[in-house]
Amino acid sequence: MIAEIGHYALVLALGLAVIQAVVPVIGARLNDPTLMAVAEPVAIAQFGFVALSFAALTASYVSSDFSVANVVINSHSTMPLIYKFTSVWGNHEGSMLLWVLILTLFGALVALFSANLPAMLRADALGIQALIALAFHLFILVTSNPFARLQEPPFEGRDLNPVLQDFGLAVHPPFLYLGYVGFSVTFSFAVAALIEGRIDAAWARWVRPWALAAWMALTLGIAMGSYWAYYELGWGGWWFWDPVENASLMPWLAGTALLHSAVVMEKRNALKVWTILLAILAFSLSLIGTFLVRSGVLTSVHAFATDPTRGVFILGILVFFIGGALSLYAWRAPALKQGGLFAPISREGALVFNNLFLTTVCATIFVGTLYPLALEAITAEKISVGAPFFNATVGVLAIPLLFAVPFGPLLAWKRGDLLGAAQRLIAAFGISLVVIVAAFAFFGAKGVLAPAAIGLAVFIMIGALTDIAERTQVINQPSNAFRRAAGLPRGAWGTAVAHLGVGIALLGIVCESNFGSEHIASVKPSQTVALAGYDLTFEGAVPRQGPNYRELVAKFTIRRDGQIVGVMEPTKRSFAARAASTTEAALMARGVSQLYLSLGEPGTDGSIVVRAYYKPLVLLIWLGAIVMFAGGALSLSDRRLRVGAPKPSRSSILQSAK
Amino acid sequence: MTRKQRRLILIGSCLAVLGVAVALILGALKDSIVFFNSPTDVVEKHIKPGTRIRLGGLVQTGSFARQDLDARFDVTDGKTSIKVSYRGILPDLFREGQGVVTEGALDANGSFVADTVLAKHDETYMPKEVADALKKQGHWKDDYGKTPGSEGRKP
Amino acid sequence: MALWFVLALMTMTAVFAVLWPLSRTRSATSGSDVAVYRDQLEEVERDRVAGLIAAPEAEAARVEVARRLIAAADTPEAKLNPSLRRRRMTAVAAIGIFPLAALALYLALGSPLQPGSPVSARATIPLQQQSIESMIAQVEAHLEKNPEDGRGWEVLAPAYLRTGRYDDAVKAVRNAIRILGSTPSREADLGEALTAAANGIVTAEAKAALERGATDAGQEKAQYFLGLAAEQDGKSSEAISIWRRQLERAGPDAPWRPLLVQSLSRLDPKAVPPGPTLDDIAAAQSLSAEQRNEMIAGMVGRLAARLKDDATDFDGWLRLIRAYMVLGDRDKARATIVNARSAFPGDSEKRQRIDNLARSLGLDG
Repeated sequence: MIAEIGHYALVLALGLAVIQAVVPVIGARLNDPTLMAVAEPVAIAQFGFVALSFAALTASYVSSDFSVANVVINSHSTMPLIYKFTSVWGNHEGSMLLWVLILTLFGALVALFSANLPAMLRADALGIQALIALAFHLFILVTSNPFARLQEPPFEGRDLNPVLQDFGLAVHPPFLYLGYVGFSVTFSFAVAALIEGRIDAAWARWVRPWALAAWMALTLGIAMGSYWAYYELGWGGWWFWDPVENASLMPWLAGTALLHSAVVMEKRNALKVWTILLAILAFSLSLIGTFLVRSGVLTSVHAFATDPTRGVFILGILVFFIGGALSLYAWRAPALKQGGLFAPISREGALVFNNLFLTTVCATIFVGTLYPLALEAITAEKISVGAPFFNATVGVLAIPLLFAVPFGPLLAWKRGDLLGAAQRLIAAFGISLVVIVAAFAFFGAKGVLAPAAIGLAVFIMIGALTDIAERTQVINQPSNAFRRAAGLPRGAWGTAVAHLGVGIALLGIVCESNFGSEHIASVKPSQTVALAGYDLTFEGAVPRQGPNYRELVAKFTIRRDGQIVGVMEPTKRSFAARAASTTEAALMARGVSQLYLSLGEPGTDGSIVVRAYYKPLVLLIWLGAIVMFAGGALSLSDRRLRVGAPKPSRSSILQSAK
Repeated sequence: MTRKQRRLILIGSCLAVLGVAVALILGALKDSIVFFNSPTDVVEKHIKPGTRIRLGGLVQTGSFARQDLDARFDVTDGKTSIKVSYRGILPDLFREGQGVVTEGALDANGSFVADTVLAKHDETYMPKEVADALKKQGHWKDDYGKTPGSEGRKP
Repeated sequence: MALWFVLALMTMTAVFAVLWPLSRTRSATSGSDVAVYRDQLEEVERDRVAGLIAAPEAEAARVEVARRLIAAADTPEAKLNPSLRRRRMTAVAAIGIFPLAALALYLALGSPLQPGSPVSARATIPLQQQSIESMIAQVEAHLEKNPEDGRGWEVLAPAYLRTGRYDDAVKAVRNAIRILGSTPSREADLGEALTAAANGIVTAEAKAALERGATDAGQEKAQYFLGLAAEQDGKSSEAISIWRRQLERAGPDAPWRPLLVQSLSRLDPKAVPPGPTLDDIAAAQSLSAEQRNEMIAGMVGRLAARLKDDATDFDGWLRLIRAYMVLGDRDKARATIVNARSAFPGDSEKRQRIDNLARSLGLDG
């Protein structure tokens, strides 16, 4: 019965989406306040029903109800409880349900927290949001129904793909989807604004919190996905330029550009047309990412659910929304009034520079990801565009972008003083030069690129600190610094912290990829492998029984200078239900560096193949992402941006002052 | 500066960046794309030793041998098979009779030296290129293509 | 019934979400961009006071924002245009069309009459009704947690053989031997499984296992497969002598008799001794299922009567148990096991063999 309640709830959500997509939009055209007011309660109810549907599917998984086909295919009654929860979205149907859950969640949030918006904009935006939801409800019910039942329930399920039986799956997809789908709000607002033909600085202020929230979730989602791949796939890599990864990186880049250009639009009423375009593009790229992953057009090491027959449906959704929005844009945008003027060297100029490079990087990745598909469609020749392509292009384009990061916040609006900004960054220049020389001396003639990149990372970090130091004048007037720091808008702190995060992540990336060491060996018990100053002694391998798998545990004792610093136990798991096996790498943190052990095939003579890595400063990559997230959170908590926060009226302030 | 000049600077710098990007993309595409080939393609196209390619097909049953870190196996599409050597750890899903994609180059003897081995990521999922190559050779078994969602749906 | 009640409740909730805003006369709050620009003016002032921007820049920013503020305030507010007719139309659609459309779509897609089947409910399904696959799955799940349970492996092995999973059967028997120790019966099972896994060829490995199994003279299965091995090695005469000896030992209604007769006649039709001949068997096979059961039942009845008079025929007891199983009469088979055990009060070896048989037929416990 529970599955049927979930199924019906999804049908009701579809019905409500139809109402929400039609009634408020008609109301907005006729300026009928009652019809427009239908949008909010219906948006909340629609979310309620999707949530009920999702809860029902979860309940089916938890109770292992094998009359539900989806549960049979992706679950097993002996699976640990947490994986019964996470396997809800560890498959195509369930993950699409999570997708619409988050989509309608954002609709409900807009309904709840946008009392400060003009009624018409709110009604139109919620209408567009419902139109997107409508398309995906239909997609789920027609092509990917998670509530399809089996007449004769089998006794046991087929288990979840062992690679996905991991805590990473519990957190990575929800955050990724929060990010992907969060950009639907900015998309809806952009389309609504285009329909109404009124786009001004106020629009940017209303939209920026949503863009920021989506960007934060996507940042964390991508970082978690990368860490998951890093420890679960056992290859020691954290980014593979896999199409699926690129599909998440592209909306992130467009979203980052949107965040920056929306600032210009809000403060200076400039870049309006461009900002609207970015808002459309960010979500379009999310949709393309969904299409790439869900339609099965890609060969990808990540694809865990592919079905080409669904591709056509998603392609239809894609063409309708992206094509529709861009046509509307082409039709309406020329009519928009130009905004404020600014000199090329100014805060606006720096943000344009940022946008230019971010979108170029995004376009480059787009080309690299889709070129193989296009070529195959045209010439039937199969190629792969791998890491070398992306490293060569993105690496070069990122350098000017990253180098400019510290300058932006130090330039004034309208007309900036580049020389002045450079002077204020003199300390950052000096420190990073020292670091470059030190790195060059320390690592020897391994090339100049790596030390220079380390210097760049340090430059960004010190630059972010310089920004705060300048604003609080901690050097000139230390006595007042604390008061000034407290008075500084949180948005300014957010910018500095997020930029600091960029520097931290860059430092991790450069050190990991340039100074890491790797060793593959076949070891016998009590044999020792030396790696980056550590001695790894293989103590032997023993079998062990897990809840729904058996594993071979290899025990390694780690010594440094003869002192035991720890024990690492990489394992190889075999899952009987799917007759599959996975490799569970062992990781040991040494500060922010890591030792990484991953097992290969055991030999017949008690030996085992092991791959050992030393990854210097690798944790900084994800730490940097967390710091970026924190920067976003700081900005979001800025009272000026807080959505719908009731502003105390002037009179009540006066009263309380008395 | 007039409005017009500013706009020209903006457009000019955009074009410059785009130009650099296009040059980079074209240069990188020329150097770093890798073509996918089935064993039959390798023979028919007379691919030169040293050219970096992806070779995909099925791991021939009974051909796998390992000595310490060196693995040897044959990749076949049913018509032609090519000897592959690889040093390192094979993916969990690597098995005889299953699909595999390897990346590397041919050596002078016509055997393939792989530095990367990708096995399919799910036992119901066959790498698309491998599936296509096998179909071409008529060795496609329909149950390879079964996807998790395509079964068990109501008729 | 409960389901329909819940669905109706859900529909009402959904309809209410549409009707509620329509019923409110007070229009919803509406923000405006004027408020945003006022905020911005305050921010500029705050930043100036805090010394974050210099006075001239603050002034320029203030002028700019003020210009936007004036423009926004100048925009004429569009006149609100409420209409009772539209409200009613929407309400009618929400009450009338919406539930019907939802129900129609649901009935087209859903299976409201099908009960759920959570794992907790499934565990109570009686054993006999479960398919062999689900029983295998159950035992596999059990062994996944307790891989050292030899009994489990022993039960699993014949099930694997029956479902054609020969490699798994080999593994299961090997596990049983490893954990419970080697017995002739298990060795014979191993030989059988290995032979099945090799497409019916008795490999050297299988032969070794069968020879270990044949150390117990009662292991007819091992004997038979050794005969097969001899035949495959080209030693027909040896095969014939093995099978003939077996045939002599076997009673007229031993279940493996037809197999022996068939095998013998393949090598040398003359070697088949009198008794139910191939023709008889062919005749039995040409009978309808009912007639055949009758014929077997008659034979079984005779055997049962004989055993009543002479309870010392050990092989007869075993045959009778098997025969009842062939007829699908588990209760009688169980009763016969009890009788057979009581017929050999002091002979633990024979009782053990009865128990083994019972276990292999799935009749224990």
